[in-house]
Amino acid sequence: MKRRLSCAIIVAMIWILLLGVAAGLRWNTPLLAHQRVTLDASDFHVVMGAGVEDGSALRVGAVGYDGNALQSIPLEHLHAQDFSVLRYRFEGFPRTLELSLVFRRSDSPDDVQVATVPWPGAGWRSVDLRKVPGWSGEITELGFAEYATPQVAPPSVAFQPFRFDKAELWSPSLRGGLAALDTSWFGETPWALMSVSALGPTREVAQAPPLTPLLAIGAMLSLLACALILRWSRPLLLRHAAFAVLALWALLDLRWLDDFHAKHELTENLYAGKSWSERARLLPDQDIAFAAEQVKTYLAGQPPARRILVASDSNYTFLRLVYLLLPLDVAPLQQVAAAQPLPQNALFLLYASTQWRYDAERRVVIGGTQAYSAEPVFDSGDVHIYRWRSARP
Amino acid sequence: MSTALPLAWLLPLAAGTAAWLALVPARGPGWRAAALGHGMLFGLLLAAGATALFARADTQHALAHAAPWLALFAIVMGVVAWRRSQQPLLPHATEHSQKVNKWIIVLLSLALASLAWRGWIALREILLRPTFPWDAWDAWAVKSKTWFLLGHYAPFVSMRDWLAQPAADLFTGPAWSYPATLGWMQVWFASAAGGWIEPLVNLPWFALWLGLLLGHYGQWRALGLSRVRAAVFVYLLGSLPLIAVHVALAGYADLWIATAFGFAVLAWMRWLERRECGQLAIAVACALLLPMLKLEGAVWLLLFACVAVLSLLSRRARRYTVLFIVAITAITIALGKFTLPLPGLGWVHIGATAIDIPMIARLAIGWHGAAFKGVLYSLFAQPNWHLLWWLAPLLVVWRRGELRVHESLRLLGLLLLLGWGFLLFLFLFTDAARWAESFTAINRLVMHIVPATITLLALLCRNVKTP
Repeated sequence: MKRRLSCAIIVAMIWILLLGVAAGLRWNTPLLAHQRVTLDASDFHVVMGAGVEDGSALRVGAVGYDGNALQSIPLEHLHAQDFSVLRYRFEGFPRTLELSLVFRRSDSPDDVQVATVPWPGAGWRSVDLRKVPGWSGEITELGFAEYATPQVAPPSVAFQPFRFDKAELWSPSLRGGLAALDTSWFGETPWALMSVSALGPTREVAQAPPLTPLLAIGAMLSLLACALILRWSRPLLLRHAAFAVLALWALLDLRWLDDFHAKHELTENLYAGKSWSERARLLPDQDIAFAAEQVKTYLAGQPPARRILVASDSNYTFLRLVYLLLPLDVAPLQQVAAAQPLPQNALFLLYASTQWRYDAERRVVIGGTQAYSAEPVFDSGDVHIYRWRSARP
Repeated sequence: MSTALPLAWLLPLAAGTAAWLALVPARGPGWRAAALGHGMLFGLLLAAGATALFARADTQHALAHAAPWLALFAIVMGVVAWRRSQQPLLPHATEHSQKVNKWIIVLLSLALASLAWRGWIALREILLRPTFPWDAWDAWAVKSKTWFLLGHYAPFVSMRDWLAQPAADLFTGPAWSYPATLGWMQVWFASAAGGWIEPLVNLPWFALWLGLLLGHYGQWRALGLSRVRAAVFVYLLGSLPLIAVHVALAGYADLWIATAFGFAVLAWMRWLERRECGQLAIAVACALLLPMLKLEGAVWLLLFACVAVLSLLSRRARRYTVLFIVAITAITIALGKFTLPLPGLGWVHIGATAIDIPMIARLAIGWHGAAFKGVLYSLFAQPNWHLLWWLAPLLVVWRRGELRVHESLRLLGLLLLLGWGFLLFLFLFTDAARWAESFTAINRLVMHIVPATITLLALLCRNVKTP
């Protein structure tokens, strides 16, 4: 009995130690925060978008013209190092929006510091501010920005009204550290283009140490402690190890299933109950899809042009545009070597491009050291089409 | 449209399953799961092949052009399978039914229910969203979308050729040299759907996941795992997060490579342990499929072929062959004369300072210490693989006795070791290190050998005595 009790104490100590290290706590960190600053949402100013007071909360009912909403509050004499945890609570925050913490410091009042923070589901969320880049010195303003989740949510349908309840700043504490750990490990993150390559990296800052190695190391140390203290035989150790592995695997799997389901909820939110033609238009990059439609519509009324050379500053934009333009015969303008002749009747499509531009005086499309005689044939917003003028008749 | 879609699904499944049964007439443990699982992969790829052969001129009606040939193939294979099933077969080891603890049944049911739940989520995700991940639309669906919307096949060529032949009906793009097998499969389903409807052309990724799990269950059973152990390992394989992601965010070729390589290994194991000729044919077919699915498949084919050839030699001959190959390789690399033809990749030139892969890139050779952190983080810290890479070395050490006893397991271990050697060399000693540092490719390449790794772990555990 004595052995079992001491084994239980040691195992508990192993896990407390590991959790403490993961949360970045010291041995003398107090249980509860000594200092707390409570910021009622109704005290925040609506900088972008529209909102109305609702008791001590703020109902945000619209985004600004650029698709962003921003609420902020001026602060006085707030020293960043005194506060290590930010807590925030929203209600009805749509899955299609992402949340960012915004703040200014007295040493650089013109610079706005922005950091993506975990999606605020139901209840409080906590962030370890010590891991937020730029959280230092005297903070003069603090706020929250909301916008369509990048890469996933089409901006045109991303916004739905929500209520911002409250934010709090806490000095270092055991409770705050563990709450930040909980948000980081069990918070919900949306799909990203990166998801198909790795599930680890996310846009959110203040990530806690990963859960998998912590559980694995904790389990190994616990098994070792039990085997030594309780004098397990080899078969007994193997049996317990097998059980521990399966239990940990199941635990990690439950966590993953929860995350998988939450990721999928966003998809359901966006696309469920809509026909394929509606869903095909609901792309996260609606601006590129619109540009592709414009090009297709223009070309539909033109004599068939065999080849189109596309340029855009962003690799993603260029590739996306190519896919959306299919089955048009499209190729990257950047890859055309200087001396290579171009196909007859080739078109240049410049979309949101500064590296490639049209010089109206010289009537050429220029990119770096390359220049091609061309005449403009279509111009709308960021979409510019030029027809190549071959030197040959 | 109403009958086209069910036909587009049932015909490949029938053709693939019939092909499996024609090659493997034996009705041992797990034969139904193995036949259906392999039938899924083979059928989908047969549909791709039939589309590529018979529907080039009219891709919008690919189903009408290719379906009769696929149906004919299914019938012929079905007849062969039926005739072979009538012949007396070698008796299979009879299985003694074991009493299973009720708690184990309950826990396993929960585990399998969780697989069904994630399968449902993945299915909904595919059916709802337009093609999402980068390479799915940038690389893998470009050819299929072009051919389908164009109404006919058109070659994809390099930028230089595209510019050099302005009059020809040619296309180009960053992925012009990628294999077109999956593209043809997408054309088959687009034609059945009556339009370029992305959820329907991406649906085969869900079927592939089912095939992967069923095929592995069936083959593990045939290789001697009990029902419970086979089901436990199916759960371990099916629960891996990155595999679920590749199903839900369908469109990448990596899960196809992982499945084909996993199936090749399983069939090869059966050949090594039971000398079943049909299994050898399946192993060869699956291995040959690899470069047709993705360029990197050529490397897995090469490694697989090397180890498979070694397995045919006597122990002494093996030692001398390995020494000879290592010496020749080292000398020719040092002299800068080592050139290797790899299907799909071209003549790969390996020198002392760089590797030239014509279809991919020139990779300079040099130590990239920073990538080591990326490799470790991908395997042991990120939630991509649960505890797989923590567990695998421990299990191998614990069950090393099995490796000593079974030559088949030693050979599989060697194959995986060579696979890891290739991956570590690629990510730590070449420019590809940046893909490990940015986590963009490392996990996807690791995925290729994950099912085969779990097969090794499952076979290492098949004789563990339950306490």
